[in-house]
Amino acid sequence: MPTRVLPEKSEVTIIGGGIVGVTIAHELAKRGEEVTVIEKRFIGSGSTFRCGTGIRQQFNDEANVQTMKRSVELWKKYSEEYGFSFEQSGYLFLLYDDDEVETFKRNIAIQNRFGVPTRLITPEEAKEIVPLLDISEVVAASWNPTDGKASPFQSTAAFALHAEEFGAKLVEYTEVKDFIVENGEIKGLKTNRGKIKTGTVINATNAWAKLINAMAGIRAIPIEPYKHQAVITQPIKRGSVKPMVISFKYGHAYLTQTAHGGVIGGVGYELGPTYDLNPTYEFMREVSYYFTKIIPALRELLILRTWAGYYAKTPDSNPAIGKIEELSDYYIAAGFSGHGFMMAPAVAEMVADLITKGKTDLPAWWYDPYRFERGELRGQALQMG
Amino acid sequence: MRRLDLTEKDTSKRITIYFEGKPYEAYEGEKFPVAMLANGVYWLTTSTEGRKRGAFTFGPLPVKVDGVKNVNGRKLKIRDSMRIERQRYDEFQEQVKIDEGKPVLRYVVDVAVIGAGPAGLGVVEEIGGKLTAALIEERTWLGGDMWLKGVEQEGFGNPRKAIEKLTNFSENVRVFLKTAALGVFDKGEYFLVPAVRNDQLIEFMAKRVVLTTGAVDSIMLFENNDYPGVFRRADALEVMNVWNVAPGERVAVTGAFPEEITAELDRWGIEYVVVPNPKRVEGKDRVERLIDENGNVYEVDAVIMADGRIPDINPVTQAGGKLRFKRGYYTPILDEEHRIRDGIYAAGSAAGIKPHYANYIEGKLVGAYILREFGFEAEPCVYSERLREYEPLSRPRPRFPLDSFNAEDVHICGCDVSLKKVDDVVKSGITDLQIIKRLTHLAMGFCQGRFCLFNGALLVSQRSGLPMDRLDIPVARPPIKNVKMKVVAGRE
Repeated sequence: MPTRVLPEKSEVTIIGGGIVGVTIAHELAKRGEEVTVIEKRFIGSGSTFRCGTGIRQQFNDEANVQTMKRSVELWKKYSEEYGFSFEQSGYLFLLYDDDEVETFKRNIAIQNRFGVPTRLITPEEAKEIVPLLDISEVVAASWNPTDGKASPFQSTAAFALHAEEFGAKLVEYTEVKDFIVENGEIKGLKTNRGKIKTGTVINATNAWAKLINAMAGIRAIPIEPYKHQAVITQPIKRGSVKPMVISFKYGHAYLTQTAHGGVIGGVGYELGPTYDLNPTYEFMREVSYYFTKIIPALRELLILRTWAGYYAKTPDSNPAIGKIEELSDYYIAAGFSGHGFMMAPAVAEMVADLITKGKTDLPAWWYDPYRFERGELRGQALQMG
Repeated sequence: MRRLDLTEKDTSKRITIYFEGKPYEAYEGEKFPVAMLANGVYWLTTSTEGRKRGAFTFGPLPVKVDGVKNVNGRKLKIRDSMRIERQRYDEFQEQVKIDEGKPVLRYVVDVAVIGAGPAGLGVVEEIGGKLTAALIEERTWLGGDMWLKGVEQEGFGNPRKAIEKLTNFSENVRVFLKTAALGVFDKGEYFLVPAVRNDQLIEFMAKRVVLTTGAVDSIMLFENNDYPGVFRRADALEVMNVWNVAPGERVAVTGAFPEEITAELDRWGIEYVVVPNPKRVEGKDRVERLIDENGNVYEVDAVIMADGRIPDINPVTQAGGKLRFKRGYYTPILDEEHRIRDGIYAAGSAAGIKPHYANYIEGKLVGAYILREFGFEAEPCVYSERLREYEPLSRPRPRFPLDSFNAEDVHICGCDVSLKKVDDVVKSGITDLQIIKRLTHLAMGFCQGRFCLFNGALLVSQRSGLPMDRLDIPVARPPIKNVKMKVVAGRE
């Protein structure tokens, strides 16, 4: 059970108790490290519990495909071991013209090269997967049945519980106020509940990463918080919308059904940079317009709620993951640009490898935090649910 | 007369409807649940988990009407020969008609008043003639909870006559009945209040907003409290006093405020028994008996919860208001001029439970503050003086007999969330409502916590010993009333 008591010392301290911070703590504790997570509110409260639940390998570059392939393996492994729901119900990208089809053929080729079994299917095949779809304008679809979704609540709670079983400490309602640094070495952190002695700090605060970086005197990693909103409808028969359905044509919409039965999702409508999280009326209008184009039956369903969360965005929509050289020992795993939930298990392995072995087999180079400073932006990661 | 009719109905309006294939006597203009109640039929829909549900406790009321699924039975006006069937909550219409939808209506006013109970009527009476106002009321009548009362009300006398007097509106007051506000949004110097009436979207732009959004009946916890034949206080009053139909032939009244109901039952001559400590309701497909904690068995066909009301906090928190816990319930924190924040006021039972007349005076008070803000002469102090005579009602803190309940049968929320489900999480040491709601779905269904969150808070407080004012109460998110996606999906 998370506490509000700050330990006196910890070898490694993770700032931020979202899915990324919690899975890193879980992985490090499992490897025998002494690790503490400090969370400003409660575990999952920042963006994790507000996320769209999707987990996909259909990216448009080798690194993200590799990372997500590993992440899906880990999602599967831990959901089985810890008993939370991870459903490999697929991602279905609806395509509406030849240009889109060509782009997706290229993406599919990359994905297939790494063993991700995505294929192009006909509109009729798409309708067999989701009978509620309007396919009158659809020309093809990109379909990977091994992508999926998980409950952010159950999964984060399970990783947190098992992290604690491995000895990790989770401290809630505790806010980091400053770093204690001597001669370029981290000695500890100051919080509203006093000090903690620590040698290694991981910034896993995503939307708040720049504020924590500023405390550490690091300024060159551009991560800004943007408001993205989501909607959920009344619960309907389970299995009505099994995969995550994506439509770039209709508002960059993503939608699926939760295990509880509600249809959940969002559109590309973005506001910011901002720390404001009030849901807007304009979003409710936008998302309803687009969703009912994709699935007309949604017209008659009740909207129960809308809410907002952050996309902590970098200029190329890829996260910044790695060691920060100016300060010893400081790591960052932030700026997930809407992909933190799906990537978390692989990111945890990557960061734990870097800390315990100094290297990793996963493509951490792609997420190099210094690429912005050097002007080596990656191709835009396919940003979507 | 039908089994539970209290008065003769107009035979020229007599029609026949079919429920589950069987014909029933009904009257034009009646709502579906009322017509069925008059015939003694309580079980009208079925929850996702398969629990039988009526119209008067909690949860939604989806039914199949002439072959179309997922129609809101609670608002359904019946027509001759209509064929209605039960369905489960999660059934929906897969083939839908696609039309252009209705155009958006737009109004610009000085003041939007949400809720036309005595407080809302007080506001428009005070500002009418000087400022333009939109009076937005979700229900089909004006006067709010007072319209449901048959007995004399302190300060007002006969409630119907008092409301008739208060509803002689001046010309610059526009009244929108059957119109549900979806929230309050900031738009520069205006507030946007989107609302829905008969599947049409209406956008109100207002310089000031008054939340006279009222209170909700508290839901009592006992075994099978979701059963057909269990009534919320307001629904029991409505069937008797608006529709002249009895809730049952012999009813049990429970809760801390039975007199709110027994006076009305006396008026109609309905046989009742007061049972202060209900433990369990039993029956085949409706209430047949009530068993209390001492093991006494009461043969009744309806149970009315008269456990008082609590302010509906959802419109307040959605609009950016903060809460405090006082007198046994959560109320908005108001500044010295009754604002939850700049430009948004609260009055009436939304701000604290008190008699209808006090709510009306509080509405007048807020009206006077607003007049002054717009540069008119007004004397709010006259009303604040009078309001001082009314101390808001204190509600006794219920203690749930958690050890004697079969908690699986007690429903804390109408969306298939049992007390056991929530209590198991609380007992595991999780006392944060923000996490509890995500793990159990408490407060995440159709009512968005309006009816169920308070019991969740009481449970956490009782189990953990944490005081109610230390609990982190989740904020309501728009829309504050469920709205069909097609209503807001239109584009111009």
